[in-house]
Amino acid sequence: MNVDMINSFINATVNALTTMAMLTVTRGSPYIKTTDENEFNRDISAIIGMAGDANGWVAFCLQRQLAVKIAANMLGEEKQEIDADVRDAVGEIVNMIAGGAKGELTQRGFSFKIALPTVVIGDNHELSRVKDFPYIVIPFATEEGNFTVEVCLKTNKI
Amino acid sequence: MSNVKILVVDDSSTMRRIIKNTLQKIGFENSVEAENGIDALSKLKAGGFNLILTDWNMPEMDGLTFVKSVRGSDTFKMIPVIMITTEAAKTEVVEALKQGVNDYIVKPFTPEALKAKVTRFISA
Repeated sequence: MNVDMINSFINATVNALTTMAMLTVTRGSPYIKTTDENEFNRDISAIIGMAGDANGWVAFCLQRQLAVKIAANMLGEEKQEIDADVRDAVGEIVNMIAGGAKGELTQRGFSFKIALPTVVIGDNHELSRVKDFPYIVIPFATEEGNFTVEVCLKTNKI
Repeated sequence: MSNVKILVVDDSSTMRRIIKNTLQKIGFENSVEAENGIDALSKLKAGGFNLILTDWNMPEMDGLTFVKSVRGSDTFKMIPVIMITTEAAKTEVVEALKQGVNDYIVKPFTPEALKAKVTRFISA
């Protein structure tokens, strides 16, 4: 995984959240995750698998308050707690992150498929890395709370 | 009120509602929701549809398979289809157009982008 790949996920994340959830998004410094401990305490994660020239998954991890706000903004409705709409909305955001990154990476010669998203809920849950695959965490901040996009991906191209 | 009837196909209830809300705001009040291709083919049987908006990646039957079925049907083959999907790669767009999709919108999209595409095919 190289800087270009990470940038593709960053661009897709900013585009998805500014366009669909009307949030201002600021990126922090990406880092390699080396332990199972979370530096960022998350309540909900939406995960989507990838297979082809890039194999692994990308996850959109956030806290309850931001997840609810994203769904509320997307739907134009008041929301108070995590419900089916919130789960669906964060799943759709990770779908857009993976799809947007795929669009950029395809232009660089990568070919891969993306799966349907899965949503996990639980206090500070852990995501299992794929053995030996690089695991990059990209932190972001918004006016409504922080989140991470976590990429555990191995490529068969440089 | 417009008599135009639109089929909105997406496995995400959030996306279906965003699309329906946008359609309503631009004067298209009569839209029907379907969760996947199989559900969409069933809903089409009611008749009277002027436009189909469909996602690509869906369980049960994906959007591309659904479009192939629509184009293979004597009854439904003339209905314009716009694909609304996260599949932003050019190769995917070309594949969708080959299979009979009339136009293509990449998620995330603005209400203005949806309006511009929809009004290419129908007017309120």
